[in-house]
Formats: sequence, C-alpha cells, structure tokens
Amino acid sequence: MIRFEGVSHRYGAVEALRDVSFAVPAGTLLVLLGESGSGKSTLLRTVNRLIAPTAGRVLLAGRDVAAGDPQALRRGIGYVIQSVGLFPHRSVGANVATVPGLLGWEAGRIDRRVDALLELVGLDPAAYRDRLPATLSGGQAQRVGLARALAADPPVLLMDEPFSALDPATRRGLQSALRRIHAETGKTVLLVTHDVEEAMVLADRIAVMEGGRLAAEGSPSALLGAGGPDVLRRMIRPELLAFHRLAAIPAGTGAVPGPVSGAPDLPEGASMREALLLMLTAGADRAALPGEPPRHLPLAAILAAAAGEGPV
Amino acid sequence: MRRLGLEALAFLAALWAAPRAGALWQALFPEVSRPTYAQDSWFLLLGSHLALSLGAVAAAAVLGIPAGIAATRGGGRALRPVLDAIFALAQSIPPVAVIALALPLLGFGAAPTLLALVLYAALPLLRATVAGLEAVPRDALEAARGLGLSPWQRLVQVELPLARPVMLSGLRVAVTLSVATAAVGAVAGARCLGTPIVTGLANANPAYVLQGALFTAWLALWLDRALGRLAGPGASRSGEAVG
Repeated sequence: MIRFEGVSHRYGAVEALRDVSFAVPAGTLLVLLGESGSGKSTLLRTVNRLIAPTAGRVLLAGRDVAAGDPQALRRGIGYVIQSVGLFPHRSVGANVATVPGLLGWEAGRIDRRVDALLELVGLDPAAYRDRLPATLSGGQAQRVGLARALAADPPVLLMDEPFSALDPATRRGLQSALRRIHAETGKTVLLVTHDVEEAMVLADRIAVMEGGRLAAEGSPSALLGAGGPDVLRRMIRPELLAFHRLAAIPAGTGAVPGPVSGAPDLPEGASMREALLLMLTAGADRAALPGEPPRHLPLAAILAAAAGEGPV
Repeated sequence: MRRLGLEALAFLAALWAAPRAGALWQALFPEVSRPTYAQDSWFLLLGSHLALSLGAVAAAAVLGIPAGIAATRGGGRALRPVLDAIFALAQSIPPVAVIALALPLLGFGAAPTLLALVLYAALPLLRATVAGLEAVPRDALEAARGLGLSPWQRLVQVELPLARPVMLSGLRVAVTLSVATAAVGAVAGARCLGTPIVTGLANANPAYVLQGALFTAWLALWLDRALGRLAGPGASRSGEAVG
C-alpha cells in the first residue's frame, strides 16, 4: 500500500531522513517509533507531500505521490496531528465535513456521513454536531479530529503523535477507539509516537527510527525481544522491556485446556500483560479464558512468553 | 443596538433642527450677526461627507488588505517591512499637506481630499490585516494544508474568517480617522461637514465652526461605536493598538 524507496531528506545541513526503505502492507496499523528528532514525523509527512524528499520516492498504491496535484493527494489521505487543529470558527459537524465539502459531495450525503463518523468515534451526533471546538475537552477534540480525517473514507490514515497531549485515561480511551475503528474499517494506518507502550498496544508492525534511519521494522513482540534494536532499550526502562513485550502477545497463545475454579476471568482479546495484571490483582496464579471448550492461562506460560521462549 | 439606533435618530433630528434653531445659536453667539448656517442642506453635507470618507476607506481597503495578505504569504514575507514603511510614510504626511500638494495636479473639489484620506486610512487596514492573519492558529493552518485545502481555500475558508475580528477593528480605526479627518476637505472645496467650519473660519463666524465641528465629531463617535459592535466584544478596543 505504502512503499518508501530510498527516502532521504535534508534541511540545510541536517539530514532528517537517510535512505529509508520499507513497505506498509494494506490494512496494516504501522507505528513509526522513535525519539525526538529521529525523523519519524518527517517520514510520515512525505506520504501526503507536506514534505518532499530530497532523494528517493514514496509510492501509494503503486503511484509516486510526487506525481499529480498535492491537494487531490491529500484529500485522499486522512491526517491527524497532535495539536488537532480543528477550525475554531466552524462547528464540529462543519469540521468533519471539510473534505467531503472540498470533494463536492451533496449536502444530504455529507450530513449522513458526519453523523455516522461522530458515532464511529464515540460522540453522540445530536449532542456534538453543532458545538464549537472551544467547548470540547482535549479527548473529545481529538475524536473530532479523527472523524474529520476519516470523513471522505480515505484508504490511508496518517496520525502524527495523535494522543501524546492527552492525559493517560483519555489516551487509553482513544487508543481503544482507534483499535476498534482500525478493525472495523481495515484502513492502512501510519501512526507516529515516541511512546513504546502505545506502540505495543496499537501496532501490527513497528518501524523504529533512529537518527533519520530505519533502525528496525517488524512485529512488536519481535522488536522487544532479544534481537530488537538498542534504541528501544534506551526508550524504556530495561526492567519493563519484558512487561511491554507481553502487551503484544495475546493471552490465548499460552492457554492450556481445562476449567479452573476461583481464577479471574479474562476479557475477549486480552493480552498477556492484561492477564498478568489481573492475576496480580486477584492474587491468583492462573486466569480463565472466555469461550468454549474451557481453557486457562497459567502464570508459568506468561513467564515463558516474557523470557522469549513462548510462541510469538 | 437599540441605543445606537435611537442615537442615529437623534443625530438626524439634530441635523434637521440645526437650521431651524436660530434662537439657540443667537443665544450662544450674541455677537455674531448671522449665527445659523443655512447655505447648504445639512443632509446634503452629511451625504457627501459620508461618500467622501467611506469611499476613501473603501479605496484604502483595496490597497491595505491585499498588501497585508501579500505580506503574510510565504514569498511575500520579505515585502512586509517595505510595505509597512511605505504605508507608515503615507500616513505620516498630514492630510492638509497632501491636499495642498495635490491641488495643482488634481484641482479643487473631492479628488485631492480623497487622495489624502486614502493615504491616511490605509495603514491601520494594512496593520490589522497582518496582525489578524499572523494570529491565526498554526495548528489549524497545518490541518487545513494536510486535509488538502489549496492556498486560496486556506485563505478564504480558514485565515480570513479567523482574522476577521482584528481586521474589523482596523476597519473601525480607518473609518473613524477618515470621517473625522474628511472635514479638512472643505479647504479644497469638497462639500462636507467641514464646509461650515471653513466658511466660519473665513468669515470669523464661530457659530458655523461649532455647528460643523459638533456634527463631524458626533458622526465619527457614532460610527466608532457602531463598528465596535460589529467587531464583537473581543475586539472592542483593540483597534487602537494597531492604528
């Protein structure tokens, strides 16, 4: 879907990107992870041509993004930024309607689409459609920002540190909304963050950026394992490496058959990290998985997975 | 809004009453033999005063607003100190001097006055346009660009609506300056609320001067408040800062 081919970018003497090449398959949620100044945002912005690479090219669905009209390209790509950037003089509904309006959709279709999108991001259309951005909380504003980015149903969504300015509880709410929306819509999502935990929670794939180069690209659990890049060890406390790695491993991978009594019940789709936290809270050494036939997850399986021995 | 409307009615009633209030002027100026200005209809003077001063503001807007837009575009940023210096220089020449200098070229009547007022009113419009556009939130502009608005669409749909309150306060300064200053046009023979003042000065008739000054000042003050209402509460007195 998106392919970076030898992408380099230079601002004067600063090499922001150095020969970055990798591909993002359609439908993937790929997190661009890196420290400040690693080039992750610059790379993201080459996709919708807010930045033109000084060498190399970016292909979107097989076509070089540098060919054709940049405005037309951007209207076909969702874009969410950390500061949200809602238009303060327009209502929530009018903000969401921006790109459909530019594309000349007829009014009835736009109205239906706006309501559907507000529902999708978890805001009641009747209560929010006519409000002005200044009346929204940070989390609500970013939900509107996400709805606005998705308005014209673009196949690709670019998100530049979308949740970094939010408090932890609000951030978790938006992360789970994004995971749900990604699962429902099958969009290709490129999300920039410096937060390793966020990357582990959200990503299908992670591309780690360091000093303008691609340091590693792979599945979350593989990157946090023994063979992962050193830069990740700098970005989180080493003793938490195994813990974060568990966030990317589904609890079901360590399950053994058989019912258990007096053990906490895991929710559908729980990760090993959630299972571990649940066991700690309940003081149990195993947790029951949902569904039939009865299965459970023993603590030993979590320890094995954390050590990199379990199935990944 | 209601108060402004009532005051406008009071103003028009006073214009109507001025030539009919001979007893009042005589009481105020007992030493003047003919204290009631009746050479022209006051409504005619008001109409041509407004046409002159508002026409000048319209022309100043045609110069100042596009110049302000140009000075805030990527490529035009270098122009900004140059434009600011030109407009500031234009404003620094006293309007009465502009009229005197332009008389030989443009002749008597409205033309030299119009020129003087345009030069005087363009600076607040330029500065307010620049200040308003500079204050547009960067994140909204970044989002507009990323969503695929063209430069023209960003200007019309995002920047100008957000700059509007500051621009309106600049317009208010320009209108107030222009309406108050247009009276000097009478020295070049432009018919306006300054005509009684100039006639009064020439004939040592302070009653005419008072009548002309009263209506000129009242009109300027009323327009200032009316436009302040238009600009909204947030911009109420901010116009002075950019004037």
